[in-house]
Amino acid sequence: MLDYASVKEGAQIVLSTSSDENHPPENIIDGLDETFWATTGLYPQEVIIRFKSPINISSVAISCFNVQKIALEGSEQDNSDKFVLLSEQEFDRDDHHKQNEEIRVEGNKQVHCLRLLITSGYDHFVAVYNVKVNGRG
Amino acid sequence: MPTILRAKCIVTGDAGVGKSSICQVFHSDSSHFPKNYTMTVGVELLVKPVNIPDTRDQVELFLYDSAGKDVFSEQVTKFWEHPNLVMVVYDVTNEASFTNCVRWLERVYSVKPDVSLPGVLVANKTDLDQRRVVSPKQGKELALSKGLGYFECSADKVLIQNILGEVPWDVDNLSEKQLELNHQDQIDHGMTNSSTAIL
Repeated sequence: MLDYASVKEGAQIVLSTSSDENHPPENIIDGLDETFWATTGLYPQEVIIRFKSPINISSVAISCFNVQKIALEGSEQDNSDKFVLLSEQEFDRDDHHKQNEEIRVEGNKQVHCLRLLITSGYDHFVAVYNVKVNGRG
Repeated sequence: MPTILRAKCIVTGDAGVGKSSICQVFHSDSSHFPKNYTMTVGVELLVKPVNIPDTRDQVELFLYDSAGKDVFSEQVTKFWEHPNLVMVVYDVTNEASFTNCVRWLERVYSVKPDVSLPGVLVANKTDLDQRRVVSPKQGKELALSKGLGYFECSADKVLIQNILGEVPWDVDNLSEKQLELNHQDQIDHGMTNSSTAIL
C-alpha cells in the first residue's frame, strides 16, 4: 500500500521540537525501520509532516518507543496553524520492544499537514521510528 | 554539532531556605546574589545552559524555582508535570526545614511516580556555622536513604556550579543510555532482560 508519509511520495518534515543531528526527524519518513527520531528532553514534543498534496487519511501506523500519550492533528492547508484533532491515544508501556500501533482516523478529513503531538512518555526521552499513512490521494 | 538536551529540574524545599538564592546565583554565574528576601509566588522559571564536562554537549536546564510557602503548594505542583530532575533544599540552621524534605520529595514523586528521577539534597547556609543544627551526617544519611546526591553550600559564598553541574551529567548519561537502548532494540527485537531502570 502507498505510504503517503514517506520521502518517496514527496512528504516533508516542516517542523520538529527536537533535532539531534544523529537522530533527525527526517528519520521518521525515510522508510527505514532502524532509523529513528529521538527527542531531546521535556514534553510536549511535536513533529509536523507535510504531504505532497492533501489526502484523505484512513489510518496512521506508528512505530515508536516509550511514547505514552499522543495526539494526531491535521490541517487542510499546507501552511497553517489551524489544526483539528484527528485522534488521541494512550499507548501501553513496553520496556523492551518498539510500540507498533495503528490508529484509525474517522471522518474522511482532507489533510495536507499531519501533526504528531507527544504529550507524555514513559521515560525522559522517546523515539519515533516510523509513521506510515494510509488513505486516498 | 553539539547535542543540546533539555531537562526540567524542580527546586523545592521549605520557605526561606534559599532556593531562589541558589537558583539566581547559579543562573547569573555567581554575579548576582539577592541580598533581600523576596518571597517566591508560584513558580519562577530560570533557563540555564550547562556544558557537560569533557564533551561538546550541553544541557539546557529549566529550573522550576518553586514557592516554599504552604499556601502555594497546590498551585506549585501544577507546574511540576514531567520532571527530569529534583533538587530539595534545606537550611542547616532550621531543623524543621530538614525534616520537611521528606514531605517535599513525596510531593514531587506523587506527580510522576513511574519515571526515574535523579536528584540532589542540598544543605544551604553552611556559612552560619555557629547556628548550625543539622549535621552533615544527618544530611548524608537522608540523601542516601532517598537515593539522592548530597551537597552543602552557602548561596552567597560558594560556587553552586558544583551541585548543578553534577545534575545535568545525569541527564546526559540518561540520554546516552536511552539511545543505546533504542539502538539495541532495533538490533535485537527479542531482547528480554535488558533493564530500562536507569541510574
